Amino acid sequence: MHQTPHNVTAELEEGAIRLRVDREIYPLPAIYGASYVFIDRCFVFLERDGEGRVVVTLQARDPNPAEEALRALVGEFSNELLSCAWRHQITAENRHLIEAVTSQALAGAMGPPSLDDLASFDFTSDGFEDPLGIAQSWEEKHGRKNKAQEAGAAGAGEEEGGR
Amino acid sequence: MSRIDLRQLRLDPRAPAFFRWREVGEHVVVTNLEGRYLLLSLDEFKRFAEGQVEAGSPLHQRLDEANLLRASYRVEEAAAALRRRKSFLQGGGVSLGILVVTLRCNETCVYCHASRANMEAVQTDMSLETAEKAVDLLLSTTSPSITIEFQGGEPLVNFAAVQRVIEAAKAKNQAIGKRLEFTMVTNLALMDEEKLGYLLDNHVQICTSIDGPEKLHNAQRKLPTGDAHQRAVRWIKEINHRYEAMGLDPTLYHVEALLTTTRETLPLWKEVVDTYVGLGCRALFLRPIDPFGFAERTRLRVEYPRSQYMEFYRRAVDYMIELNKQGVEILERYAAIFLTKILGGEDPNFLDLRSPAGTGIGQMAVNYDGEVFTCDEGRMLHEMGDDTFLLGHVDTHRYRELVGHETVRAAVIASNLDGQPDCTNCAYNPYCGTVPANNHKTAGSMFGRMRESAICAVHKGIQDYLFEKLATADAETRAILERWTTHRPREHFIQGL
Repeated sequence: MHQTPHNVTAELEEGAIRLRVDREIYPLPAIYGASYVFIDRCFVFLERDGEGRVVVTLQARDPNPAEEALRALVGEFSNELLSCAWRHQITAENRHLIEAVTSQALAGAMGPPSLDDLASFDFTSDGFEDPLGIAQSWEEKHGRKNKAQEAGAAGAGEEEGGR
Repeated sequence: MSRIDLRQLRLDPRAPAFFRWREVGEHVVVTNLEGRYLLLSLDEFKRFAEGQVEAGSPLHQRLDEANLLRASYRVEEAAAALRRRKSFLQGGGVSLGILVVTLRCNETCVYCHASRANMEAVQTDMSLETAEKAVDLLLSTTSPSITIEFQGGEPLVNFAAVQRVIEAAKAKNQAIGKRLEFTMVTNLALMDEEKLGYLLDNHVQICTSIDGPEKLHNAQRKLPTGDAHQRAVRWIKEINHRYEAMGLDPTLYHVEALLTTTRETLPLWKEVVDTYVGLGCRALFLRPIDPFGFAERTRLRVEYPRSQYMEFYRRAVDYMIELNKQGVEILERYAAIFLTKILGGEDPNFLDLRSPAGTGIGQMAVNYDGEVFTCDEGRMLHEMGDDTFLLGHVDTHRYRELVGHETVRAAVIASNLDGQPDCTNCAYNPYCGTVPANNHKTAGSMFGRMRESAICAVHKGIQDYLFEKLATADAETRAILERWTTHRPREHFIQGL
């Protein structure tokens, strides 16, 4: 077992490295962000270990990875994790500044919508069609219905059946 | 190692206005939110940070003039300075459109692998129809000015597409009235009288690549005849001669040349500068090699530690300053960009050195087949099998859709230095920039990790050098550095003027 200075512990397994990350030190978005950076080189699995830590398994895509290469992943992951954690915090602190600059940059570059853009814009206030009920809440879709709703549903069924 | 012990420093948060700092040589660079700077001695910095500067003292006056004191902080002045520095955000838009008219290239360069094709690969030529659609796209920009840059491969290989673009753009621009310019980046080896006549008649600015002295250039840029340097030099001289014959000022109008710094270049800093001066160039861009477009085995041969690059840079620029003192006009482009920001308080809108970067909002690249990318680096990544920076196609996407693409939004956020670890605290934050495509290639995300980034090391190293110079410069050196910030527009290359 390899203990890093940032309370990330790592275990070397066959073709993989398993890291345990303390959730009190590293926020979950930082763990997601750092893990994502590795998906082109590794298969990445996230689990909880029941002790407040997230277990990150980096399974090398290379079928015969060198042990040295796997160990290097630990250091790189730790650096990326710290970078993501700090960026997560900075982004929260500077959110207004970043949003203002991003809006100004994109609006300035995109310019106002053209007539073609406006012609294809949906100005109606109608909702989207939702045949699968994706936009419905669980209660609306599956919850216990009151009598009036049940009567309505039955009526609708009768109506459908009458066609 | 830092000579400032933060544990010993009794910071007084009531005295200084917001500031960032960095030790440079014997001095400390202090910058404020809007990018004003001051060079302080260690003792002055300590007194400033601890709020121990006596009112009315010369140091107090300097701090006040630089808007670094909380009690007298001038908000309106700071807002105006910040607006000026970020002027590229107001009514911006794509001002650089790169057109890869072919991937075919007659030269084989040691550092170029994935973004070129052999001369038989005619399927990598841009069709005339795609060329016209690319013009329609680029002239849809919201920017009042647009430079269309012909690249490759070698653009002279598909000259018909170049001509079609120039004709279509000029015709379309008559109704639009943008400040339209054309630039061609060519190795010049396939230039002939007819092509040159056309380019000169149509006011196309010509840029080329010179890797330094003849032996190095020919070793890195290979032609079957082994004379890439001789051919380039012949045409550089001819074109410069034609400009003079047209009555154009040779100090302003001459072939621009670009350097690619490889490991072999590093010991030849003096020879490189002398070669450029000898060719009549007034500017030299000491660009480090970037991580795109070549095979891994080549990277090991041409790459180098950034500390070695910085030694090369310092020697070369020191030598250029000495040449300036002897009356030779030559400037280093990186230094000129940074100095314009540091001394002039303006941003020259170099798209890779601003926050946020110009990726997709300041530049776009159109590949030979009509696919559109955020930038040329993104296009090169595509040639290496990575489509992260692919935005769409000239056949199916309009300008506004491409600029509003989610990848562009991500790149804008990722290249905002106020959201970057390290950059957010860096004294050079007001002057610097990061490149999302480079970060993606080297660190796996558009954000990258600045402490491990070679580009960050180079940017910091160059600014350290410049601030050291500013701290210790005599009047003559200072005047030279200030002269490097002078921008003289080349009106001849603007269409219709």
